Amino acid sequence: MTVLGLSPYAEPQERLARFGLIVFVTLVLLFLVAPLLVVVPLSFSDDPFFSFPVKAYSLRWFRDFFGDDRWMASLSNSAITAVFTTILATTLGTMAALGLSRPSFPFRRTVNAILIAPMIVPVVIVAVGDYLLYGHAGLTNTRTGLVLAHTVLASPFVVITVTATLATYDTTLTQAARSLGASSLSAFLRVTLPVILPGVVAGAVFAIATSFDEVVVALFMTSAEQRTLPVQMFSGIRDQINPTIMAAATMLLCVSTILFVVVAWLGARGRNL
Amino acid sequence: MTLALPHAGTAPSVKRAVRRADRPARRAAFLLSLPLLAFLAIAFVVPIAALFTTAVDNPETRSVLPDTLRALAAEPSAAVPGEPVFAELAHDLARAGKARTAALLGKRLNYEIPGMRSIVMAGSRLAAASSQGPWRQKFCDSDPAWGDPALWAAIRRNGARLTPYYMLTAVDLQQTPSGGLAPVAPEQRIFLDILGRTLLVAATVTLLTLFLGYPVAYALTLAPPLLGAIMMLCILLPLWTSLLVRTTAWVVLLQSNGIINDLLIGMGLISKRLQLIFTRFGTVAAMTHIQLPFTILPIASVMRTIPVAQLRAARSLGAPPMSAFWRIYVPQTLPGVMAGCLITFILSLGYYITPALVGGPTDQMVSNFISVYINRDLNWGLASALGVVLLAVTLLIYGLFLRIVGADKLRLG
Amino acid sequence: MNAPHTLPAPPKPGSPEAIADATSFVRFERVRKSYDGIHFVVEDLNLAVRKGEFLTMLGPSGSGKTTSLMMLGGFEEPTFGHIFLGDEPVERLAPEKRNIGFVFQSYALFPHMTVAENVAFPLRYRGIKGTAAADKVAKALGMVHLGHLAARKPCQMSGGQQQRVALARALVFDPTLVLMDEPLGALDKQLREHMQVEIKQLQRMLGITMVYVTHDQSEALTMSDRIAVFNDGRVQQLAAPEMLYEQPANSFVAGFIGENNLMPATVDATEGGIATLTMGDGSRLQAPNPAGVAVGAKARLAIRPERFFIQVGDARGPLNILRGPITDMFYLGDHVRLSVAVGGDKPVVARIPVSQRRPFARGETVTLGCAVTDCRLLEG
Repeated sequence: MTVLGLSPYAEPQERLARFGLIVFVTLVLLFLVAPLLVVVPLSFSDDPFFSFPVKAYSLRWFRDFFGDDRWMASLSNSAITAVFTTILATTLGTMAALGLSRPSFPFRRTVNAILIAPMIVPVVIVAVGDYLLYGHAGLTNTRTGLVLAHTVLASPFVVITVTATLATYDTTLTQAARSLGASSLSAFLRVTLPVILPGVVAGAVFAIATSFDEVVVALFMTSAEQRTLPVQMFSGIRDQINPTIMAAATMLLCVSTILFVVVAWLGARGRNL
Repeated sequence: MTLALPHAGTAPSVKRAVRRADRPARRAAFLLSLPLLAFLAIAFVVPIAALFTTAVDNPETRSVLPDTLRALAAEPSAAVPGEPVFAELAHDLARAGKARTAALLGKRLNYEIPGMRSIVMAGSRLAAASSQGPWRQKFCDSDPAWGDPALWAAIRRNGARLTPYYMLTAVDLQQTPSGGLAPVAPEQRIFLDILGRTLLVAATVTLLTLFLGYPVAYALTLAPPLLGAIMMLCILLPLWTSLLVRTTAWVVLLQSNGIINDLLIGMGLISKRLQLIFTRFGTVAAMTHIQLPFTILPIASVMRTIPVAQLRAARSLGAPPMSAFWRIYVPQTLPGVMAGCLITFILSLGYYITPALVGGPTDQMVSNFISVYINRDLNWGLASALGVVLLAVTLLIYGLFLRIVGADKLRLG
Repeated sequence: MNAPHTLPAPPKPGSPEAIADATSFVRFERVRKSYDGIHFVVEDLNLAVRKGEFLTMLGPSGSGKTTSLMMLGGFEEPTFGHIFLGDEPVERLAPEKRNIGFVFQSYALFPHMTVAENVAFPLRYRGIKGTAAADKVAKALGMVHLGHLAARKPCQMSGGQQQRVALARALVFDPTLVLMDEPLGALDKQLREHMQVEIKQLQRMLGITMVYVTHDQSEALTMSDRIAVFNDGRVQQLAAPEMLYEQPANSFVAGFIGENNLMPATVDATEGGIATLTMGDGSRLQAPNPAGVAVGAKARLAIRPERFFIQVGDARGPLNILRGPITDMFYLGDHVRLSVAVGGDKPVVARIPVSQRRPFARGETVTLGCAVTDCRLLEG
């Protein structure tokens, strides 16, 4: 039997190295996944203290979450912000990616570097800049301000995802549509867009995830009224960590798992097309 | 093959014709990305420009003491000015007392001369209480500091529209009275320390992710499809999980009565519970966990492109397995290693949430201090200056990344 | 390099010759194309396609043939010059307004549509809907024998079937001109040969004009009414397949179409259209001189390998005789391929039918004969 591609004629030294590799990699993967799995049982524990093993299971912390106006308000704030951010970032990002992937695009490297920059620049800097500027514009403590800031942070993800999809797009499809009588707009709507749709949706999912996950700007920019779910969690952990936060974390974990599955499925679909 | 043109038109006119023919296509391509560029210009570049402006902006003295500054300009050489300046000072401070802006000036001058806040506030009360001079006498009597040349030098200096003060402070420098630069007093040297700590933590996290991630990326290329997919799931799921959820998990793990301590005691390795949360260890462990996928993925994607046949060829040419791995395989993975490490280093520089929740006071990074100066001390100038320093370091490394790797090589998942 | 000196000068736009060519349907006039402003991928293209003909643009990769086709289809714009479709200049016309069917090398079938939807795509832009459209789709698919697969998605079909769908889609709206860019390049040899016949039959049956791009000379020779041989951005020769093979206009065409021995020679005399030549090794040969190469000029003598025979006994009739040792030989079933060192810098290749074969041995000296009329003198 071959283990991880090792030939049956391998030398003892090689076998030892391969065995070491397997043990090491298993431990690292455990390190990656185990912390996430700690959260779930604790959120279902009846015990207010974070102790293992869990003695009795209950849904009380989830009831607390859904019964608390502050948690519910923050959940709806996050959802509304994420929806508007996703619409804006996906539209702007997809258009930009369409332009960038045309061969005639001028200054491509520079423009690309600029479009990706919001992902690279520390979030605190964006947060402070927005805080200083939006103060003048009267946008601090407004949802508009938060949506604008989140769109800045989410747009690079859309640009990267859609650009990657367009790299595999066969441009002769557009040429074929044109030769058959479609105008350039019609060719885009009826051929290009349907073909790249999985990539666009994946970009949108990244935008949702970015907005739903963002703490720092939200922390700087919002008052209690616009407080988002991550900000509510952050303040909770800071003051006194409690099991309701675990319930919130478990639900966020579920949401990100679902989003992850959606993107993985879209990726597989995109390859089959 | 193509031919250099032998006839009909010189090269420049051909170039012009080609450019003219391309222009509509170039314009259409650019127009498509224009909305996002314009949006980023307004919602991303302008805020960062505001950060730069705030880092050098110096409005307090000019707005609170306009007449004093004008009178001071008439006495350019006086170390301590005469009665006319003090009269304008009384006038300005009385007005500031009414408008409640004296505190702003006091706070601003207090950055440069400790104690200035109370001196300005007292001066403002004095100006409001009396109606008649001699003002110089009255001010100096109420507080001898008003007769100190250093105070007047500070007022003169801050009459300028822009100030280097915040930027200098952010790198532990100060202006000497003679106009030169000098390091601040040793007990006040904190910001270079913080920057150094930020770089150190980022470097530690980067090296740890490389040490842990490289073997995982290598194993990914060896694994059969199903196992590979499971391993990929283990790498991507944390990436997709909210940063806050991952940090929460580490808070729970690291607590004194948390799971790691439980495990260590259960195994009999320690007898007394260790302080893990609010330590450098906790910060680095959590950050390494969060950044690990970012380092693994670029390395894995480069490794996938290296044909297995190469190692076999090296073996067939006589190289022992380890030597073949080091001399043939590892050098080819360097582009991926560079990409992964640079991304992790850049992202680590900007960490805020994780150090805030699992780090101790000495583990706070530049971002955390920026937040403190914005939200608690309301010292926007210093917060902005620290932001400029952090941005400069980040952009430097981003530039390196663009040169070595290229923005178009960034992939997600 | 290969200046088109053997070509007749193109008719000037609006000149009597141009107007007289009333059968011409597509015209390239002095078309040049450059992407970088320094190099021209298409150099001075003058070409008229006749109505109803099957014209192939043949040439090595980078010779400018695909760029020329793309300019005709409307996907590239000429840097200089004009393209006429009928009497109308179209070089600035959007592709969707040209009413040209285009078959792409990658087929370019829309992956999210079924076969029937793909074929119906051009009809909606021509106001054909409902049963009229369905009828046309069925007819077009029937024409390429795919009526039963109308509901499939392209990814569920083989390469050959996808190719037929692309063909049906390009024909369904009755275009007067169909362009094809190496449409059979991705198919295996057997299927390719089958499709060549099928496409040719369709073209003849429908009476449409086709411009076809390929780098495969046998494909071009099988299908075309006329072939334009491209090299270095220029048309080297435009002629019917037989003419190209028998009377190549220059060394490039002689070497590109089929196999040829091109031997450097000097012209000593020319009389009655027959030139007397001195070869590199000093021997003297004769060849027809249709290009009128001047006395004293350097030239190339072209002889096809299959025109050689083994000369036994005395020469009868006007013959060129070459002698030399066999340096290499391969048995190829229907013929033997000999390399014979006759004195030039390269050995001459001769294909001797197996019926003529006697046991050859490497090193043995043979005498190759070739009728003077089977030789051809080219400028070189």
